[in-house]
Amino acid sequence: MTTYLLRRLLALLPVMLVVVTIVFFLIHLIPGDPVAVILGPEANAEQIEAARRELGLDRPLPEQLVRFYTRLLRGDLGRSYFLDRPVTTALWERAEPTLVLMASALFVAVLIGVPSGIVAGAYPGSGWDRVLMTLALLGVCIPGFWLSLNFIYLFSVRLGWLPVAGYASVFSDPVAAFRYMLLPAVSLGFSQSALIARIARSCMIEVLRQDYIRTARAKGLAERSVIYLHAFRNALVPVVTVIGITMAILIGGAVVTEIVFNIPGLGRLIISAILRRDYPVVQGVVLLTAAAYMLINLVVDMVYAFIDPRIRYV
Amino acid sequence: MADGVAVNERAAAAAGPSAATDAARTRLVRRLLSNRNVVIGGSVFLLLVLVALLADALSPYNPTRLYPGQRLRPPSLQNLLGTDEFGRDIASLVLHGSRVSLLVGGVTMILTSVGGVVIGLIAGYYRRLDVVVMRVMDGLMAFPAILLAIALMAARGPGVWNVIISLSVVYLPRTAMLIRSTALSVRELDYVLAAQALGRGGLAIAFRHILPNCLGPLLVRGTFIFAYAVLAEAILGFLGVGVPPYVPSWGNVIASGKNVIREAFWVSAFPGVALTLAGLSLNLLGDGLRDTLDPRLRME
Amino acid sequence: MRHRKTLWAVIALTVVGLCLTGPAAAQKKGGVLKVGNLGEPPTLDAHWTTATITEVLTNHIYEGLYAVDAKAQPIPMLAEGMPAVSKDGLSYTFKLRQGIKFHNGKEMTSADVVASLNRWGAQSTYGKTLYARVAEVRAVDKYTVQMQLKEKTATVLISLAIPNNFAAIYPKEVVDKFKPAEKATESIGTGPFKLVEWKPDRHIKMVRFDDYQPRKEPATGYGGRKVVHVDELLWLPVPDAATRVAQIETGELDFADDLDLNAYGRLKKTTGVQPIVAKPYYWLVAVFNKKEGLMTNPKLRQAWQAALDMEPIMKNVAGGHAELYRLDSSLAFAENAPWHTKIQGLPWNEHNRDKARRLLREAGYKGEPIRFMTTQEYKWMYDFALLSKQQLEDAGFTIDLQVVDWATLVKRRNNSKEYDAFTTGMGNFYDPTHHIYLGPNWPGWTNDEQLNRLLSDLAGETDYKKRFGLWEQVTRTFYDRVPVARYGDLFGLRAMRTHVKGFDTTLMRPRFHNVWLEK
Repeated sequence: MTTYLLRRLLALLPVMLVVVTIVFFLIHLIPGDPVAVILGPEANAEQIEAARRELGLDRPLPEQLVRFYTRLLRGDLGRSYFLDRPVTTALWERAEPTLVLMASALFVAVLIGVPSGIVAGAYPGSGWDRVLMTLALLGVCIPGFWLSLNFIYLFSVRLGWLPVAGYASVFSDPVAAFRYMLLPAVSLGFSQSALIARIARSCMIEVLRQDYIRTARAKGLAERSVIYLHAFRNALVPVVTVIGITMAILIGGAVVTEIVFNIPGLGRLIISAILRRDYPVVQGVVLLTAAAYMLINLVVDMVYAFIDPRIRYV
Repeated sequence: MADGVAVNERAAAAAGPSAATDAARTRLVRRLLSNRNVVIGGSVFLLLVLVALLADALSPYNPTRLYPGQRLRPPSLQNLLGTDEFGRDIASLVLHGSRVSLLVGGVTMILTSVGGVVIGLIAGYYRRLDVVVMRVMDGLMAFPAILLAIALMAARGPGVWNVIISLSVVYLPRTAMLIRSTALSVRELDYVLAAQALGRGGLAIAFRHILPNCLGPLLVRGTFIFAYAVLAEAILGFLGVGVPPYVPSWGNVIASGKNVIREAFWVSAFPGVALTLAGLSLNLLGDGLRDTLDPRLRME
Repeated sequence: MRHRKTLWAVIALTVVGLCLTGPAAAQKKGGVLKVGNLGEPPTLDAHWTTATITEVLTNHIYEGLYAVDAKAQPIPMLAEGMPAVSKDGLSYTFKLRQGIKFHNGKEMTSADVVASLNRWGAQSTYGKTLYARVAEVRAVDKYTVQMQLKEKTATVLISLAIPNNFAAIYPKEVVDKFKPAEKATESIGTGPFKLVEWKPDRHIKMVRFDDYQPRKEPATGYGGRKVVHVDELLWLPVPDAATRVAQIETGELDFADDLDLNAYGRLKKTTGVQPIVAKPYYWLVAVFNKKEGLMTNPKLRQAWQAALDMEPIMKNVAGGHAELYRLDSSLAFAENAPWHTKIQGLPWNEHNRDKARRLLREAGYKGEPIRFMTTQEYKWMYDFALLSKQQLEDAGFTIDLQVVDWATLVKRRNNSKEYDAFTTGMGNFYDPTHHIYLGPNWPGWTNDEQLNRLLSDLAGETDYKKRFGLWEQVTRTFYDRVPVARYGDLFGLRAMRTHVKGFDTTLMRPRFHNVWLEK
């Protein structure tokens, strides 16, 4: 098991190199000048040139790339052009809202998805199954950002129950934090819950077909305990891995949700950084997300390898 | 890449090349048509294609014509779905928006499939290239799809073709991996080794033995990619990094409706419904195809 | 004797009673004022950028020697009074106020002023324009500064007074620490508020500066007596205009600026909210590339101007609200009284399609696409560009509308190969010589002989009546040469919760001194 883990970790290194290079070239391919934006619309050519020299933007690209690698190895992600602070600080300051959003959305997704899937799978073909699976299908097909808009219209504008947008830290004001996070978490979590529900359902059906379930039934156990004691727990294992995949998908979904709900997290940061051509910040966020993404996938693979020993020897 | 598909596909491929007899084909078609999801999803999708093709004829107004005096009118006999802030007819915008969505979805699906096949076959077949190709694919897959698409769009600028290219780049690796794993598993099989011994070239083997095994999963995958691409185009349009804002597209119209959601909720509502319908039809179709063509993929 | 006692009692009671009821609007001290901002400022160094958001923030922390009053005239702020000017007009002597403290407790002296002015003169757009005529600025004694000019000019005071990219006075230590081309990251000023913390994307927190020395004159425009009643001023970045509106309605914000114009009707009806029309805001303009490309041909520019029908464009951009726009041909806003022109018969807003077609024919235009750049980041820019495109194409133009983000637009507009026209808005220019679009150093590159001559005369002339005459000539030449196409005036929309009192709604940009919270 540990050798598999080590092998996988080692395999990540060249991938990270590729990722870093892709990110660098991608960012520098974007037209537009960060300096012109910072200086404001009435700056003239010489002011812009001076500022470019300050930021090291006048050097040839390969030189900038090498500088980028060396700094990265030292753990230095550079300095934001716009925010006048190290990129690492900028990322750290905005990590909390994004993490809270993702955790809440995941919580909602699991809360809705797992029970729905289990119930649907336990009674396939029943009325419950049809209803739940239709809802799940809708969850997959309704665009998350559109759902967010409708939620805002209904709950904030029409009913006035919840605030339209914004963020409060759970450490400073838990009640407000809850009210601000409810709509974003539910709209983001709902789409993901659909995926979890469908997987949970098929896992449940698969497990219920197994021999040991037939044995349990033959033993005379009540149907309910069959479901909850035996089937449920075994069906849950692959579901856990799907939850891992969901977490990875949530990273992308969080970007749009943060924009719609004006949450000051990493998603909003990257959009504004792209608009302002704040290259170091864009690089930092993309690298961070790629690293997180790969890490999550690695963990999911570990869990898979744990369940299915065959995979380790591939 | 965590993909329970890998194990199952290997098993599926090991079953041998599909028999290409007429009887088998008719059986396949009948199975497809008896699957409810395929029928429902497929017909709604065909309806969408029809609407896209006939958009000009069906639209009561030119969707790009501005009527500044008639901004934000609610649905009426004059404008069945209302007007937006420039007085453009929402119904015409939604009808024409289907063109962009279907174009982006369709071409992305084709490019991704073709590109994925080429790259996957190369990687699966030529050991030395495999390592490099796989690292690059892994690198591309390390980004959440929408983030990479946003960054690519920022680099390339607005435009339908840029959206298509960006999305194709984003979705290609997964298809390539699928083809590659099939190629890897099939190439060790006896009949392939036999063909090689007989002097058959790599390309012939690829087409006669590897590809037919992939077609089913490829089609299923392709349908879902179509669906993701349609949604991704709308998200990019909504964020303002998709097709130019004056081109009728569902994402663009929803974005313009966001600002006036209080005064005119209809602007965002109707294109969203259209998007949901398109997504529904494609997902149903994909589900149905998967059930018919490869039930073993159900775990996905 | 008894009566006198009663009389005194009555008087005493009346006085006490009057004191208790007090004037109807007694200012309450305290509270946190939450203001919603467009986004993050690029910097809080006033010398560094012309960005409006920096302007608003820095004018709360810093002050200059002069400020602009309600009539757009310079009045003393940190200077004691008006300067002594030598007979030849080349020497200005400023006496500084004494006992003015910086936020760090240090007293402001001429050393700080000289250092700050020189830094401003090296970096700021307006500073550089003025300093082109300045020979030297030096300290005469602890509280006196002298400015020696190379050539006479009428723009000294107004340049020192304008609030945008302004001559903020920093402590000498800060000036020495940050070269002009660097952004100063320490914000120590003499203003009524002091900066406590700046957490990017979260908030900018300012508190009352207790040692602030207000002027005695009543508040007028951006100057006069400034008293801070609130304890704290919290600026929150809310990039999305619709969200800002929503947060004002729910009370999450006390004040929000740059609101979506569509919301005006709704805000008028919302209890607890007072919408404010911000006049002036911008006049909308399509700037032409006169260095190379299709728009170097004056007939094409005249055709563009002739084809436009301003009313439907402006009305639509203003969200359908008549109160939010104004059609005016003057190059200076009506609120800028000294320079507002009322010339009749100018070829503006003619909406004459036939004239446009004729001009296109005379220009030899064959339908080549004209690259018109705009952005959605300023919604009104995109709106008027889209509406113009349709009107222009109906008149025979072929317009290639390129929608990019602001960063790209700002970069491309410096490159004459990349566009033929772009959209922007012109804010208020306090002096005729500050109109950047009339000169060759700004994108568009207006290099008209007659305009250049008139503007240099304006810079050297000191008599107001003569200057106004020259300015009218500039306006007529402008409409003949059409270096840029002037549309109408757009107003801005702000909103305030009704418990916020004392806010001066006539100001072009918000100021929160003299404001209190009635809770």
